[in-house]
Amino acid sequence: MSSRLTISFLAIALAAGAQTLSRKIELPKDSPVTLVSADWGESSATPRGGAFLVDVHAGLSLRNSSQRRIRGVTLAVVAQEVTPGGKGSVSVPSLDVAPGDTFPVRIDLPLLRPLGAGAGPLVEVQLDGVLFDDLNFYGPDKLHSRRTMTVWELEARRDRRYFKTLLETAGREGLQKEMLASLARQADRPQPGVQMVRGRATNTDPEREVQFAFLHFPESPVQPTDGMARIAGNEARAPRLEVRNLSDRPIRHLEIGWIVEDQQGREFLAASVPADLNLAPGRSSQVFEDAALRFDQRTSIQGMTGFVSSVEFADGSYWIPSRSALEDPKLRRLAPPSPEEQRLAQIYRKKGLAALVEELKKF
Amino acid sequence: MSRHVPESGLALYVSGDLGWWSRAAARMHLNGCESCRKRMEAYRIDRQRLRESAAEMPEDVDWDRLAAEMTANIRVGLAAGECVAPRSRKPAPLGWRPAAVMAGAAVLMAGAWWLNTPPMQTQALGRAMRAIWQGRGAMPRIGIEERGPVVSASSSGIELRENGSALAVSQGTARPVAVSVSMQGSASARYVDADTGQVTITSVYVQ
Repeated sequence: MSSRLTISFLAIALAAGAQTLSRKIELPKDSPVTLVSADWGESSATPRGGAFLVDVHAGLSLRNSSQRRIRGVTLAVVAQEVTPGGKGSVSVPSLDVAPGDTFPVRIDLPLLRPLGAGAGPLVEVQLDGVLFDDLNFYGPDKLHSRRTMTVWELEARRDRRYFKTLLETAGREGLQKEMLASLARQADRPQPGVQMVRGRATNTDPEREVQFAFLHFPESPVQPTDGMARIAGNEARAPRLEVRNLSDRPIRHLEIGWIVEDQQGREFLAASVPADLNLAPGRSSQVFEDAALRFDQRTSIQGMTGFVSSVEFADGSYWIPSRSALEDPKLRRLAPPSPEEQRLAQIYRKKGLAALVEELKKF
Repeated sequence: MSRHVPESGLALYVSGDLGWWSRAAARMHLNGCESCRKRMEAYRIDRQRLRESAAEMPEDVDWDRLAAEMTANIRVGLAAGECVAPRSRKPAPLGWRPAAVMAGAAVLMAGAWWLNTPPMQTQALGRAMRAIWQGRGAMPRIGIEERGPVVSASSSGIELRENGSALAVSQGTARPVAVSVSMQGSASARYVDADTGQVTITSVYVQ
C-alpha cells in the first residue's frame, strides 16, 4: 500500500515537474534551407537533479531554398554548449533534394541543460551545414559536418556507381544477388558494446603494449607503418600510430579504423581514430589519442588491426577506399556499409528490385 | 563429664559476651574441669593486662580528633589509589532529545546522499571502503564511468553516461542499423526509415 502511494506521489511529482519545451529553430537569413513546419510531438523538459532532462522528439520539414541539389544536412541540437550531454546532432546523408522541394528531418535526442543556465529557450536547433551535389558546403561547420558529409557523399557516389555497373554487367539478377549479400552482411556484422572515455586512467590493472597489424590498400595515399595501444584485460587505451604520406599532396586530416580481436578470435570494428595533422608529402607523423575503450567484461583483447578509412588533403579533396579495397575479407565482414548502400538495401527490401533499379537511374 | 569449652567460648566467657545458656553450661564444665579452668584463667589474666596497658594512655588524648585524623588519612590513601589505578569512565547520560536530533540529522544526510549522489560514485566509494577494509595495498581499479563522461555504443543504440546518469538515444522501437564510436569523443547511431529508406545519423558528444 505504502509503495503504491510512493509511486503515485512520484508520478504526480514528475508530471508536475515536466514542462512544455521552450524551443527555437535558428536558421541563418541566407540559409539554403527554410523551415516549412515543425512538430515537437512528445518533447518535454523534466528536472533531474541539478539539470533539466530535455527530451527532444521533433519532426521538421525543410525546404531547399537554394538553386542547387542538396545531398546532406546536419543540424546541431543544443541545450547547453559546454555541458557534457548538452548538445547533439542529427545528420541526413544520401539526400537528393531538388531546389524548391521539401524533405523531412527527424530529431530524437535526449539532452541535459543545467538549472539556471540562463534565459532563453531550453533547446535550440541550429544549422551546422548543408552539402550540395557539387560538394560545396554551406554552414558554420562547428561539428565538422563538412568533412563527415563529404565522406558520406563520396561513399554514396562510389557505391551507386558500383551497383549501376553491376546492373549493366550482371543484369537485374546480379544486382539482386549483391543486394541479398549486402543484407546478409548487415545482419551478420558483429556489433558488441563498447564504451569510450576521454583522458587517461590513473590506476588500472597491469597493462601491456600490443602492436597494431595493418590492412594496406594499394591506392591509399597514407601508409600506417607502426602502432601500439596499452591493453589491460578488456580495456584498450592511448592508441599511438605512425603514418606516412605516400602522396604528392599535403594531408590535413585522416581517419583510421580500429579493429579488435578477442580471446576467441572474434573480430569487430571498435572505433575510429581521427587525427588533424599537417603531413607533407613523403613525411611521417604520429597519431595519438588520449582516450580509452572498454568492452564487455568477458572480452580479453588479444590483437588489433588498423586501416586508413579516409584522408582529407590540404586542398580540400578527399580519398576513401575503393570498392575493391573493401573486398578484403576482414573489412567486408566488419566494416559497416555506407549510408547509401543501407538506403538502397532498404528500398530493395521494402519495395523490391524494380524500385531499386528506378532509384539507381535517378542520378 | 561434658565436652571441653572451645577457646573462643572461653574468651567470650571471660569478657562476659556468652549467651545465658552457653554461659551456664560453660560454668558447669569449668567447675569440674581443671585444664579448662586454667586456660580460662589465662584469658582473664591477658584481659586484665590489656586493660592496664590501655589505662597507661595519656589522660588528655582527644579521641574524636584522633578519629577525624584517621578518617582523613584513609581518604588521602583512597585518593592516591585513584590516581594510580586506571580510570574507569562513567558513561555520560544521554538524554532523548540529543539522540533524536542526531537521528534526524543522520536520516537527512542519508536522504541527501541518496537523492544527490550518483549511484556510480556510491558504488565506487563502496569498493574503495571494501578495499581499505580488506587491507589491499593497491587502490581499487577505477571504473571507466568514474573518469568522466562516457559515450557507449551497442547494437541497441548509443548513450552518453555521466555521474551515473544515462542519456540514451532512441527512435522509439527502431533499432540502429549501425553504431560507431570516435576516439575524439562522440558516438553515432544510424537509423534507416523503414518506408522511405531515408538515413538519419544521430550523434552525442562528450565535450
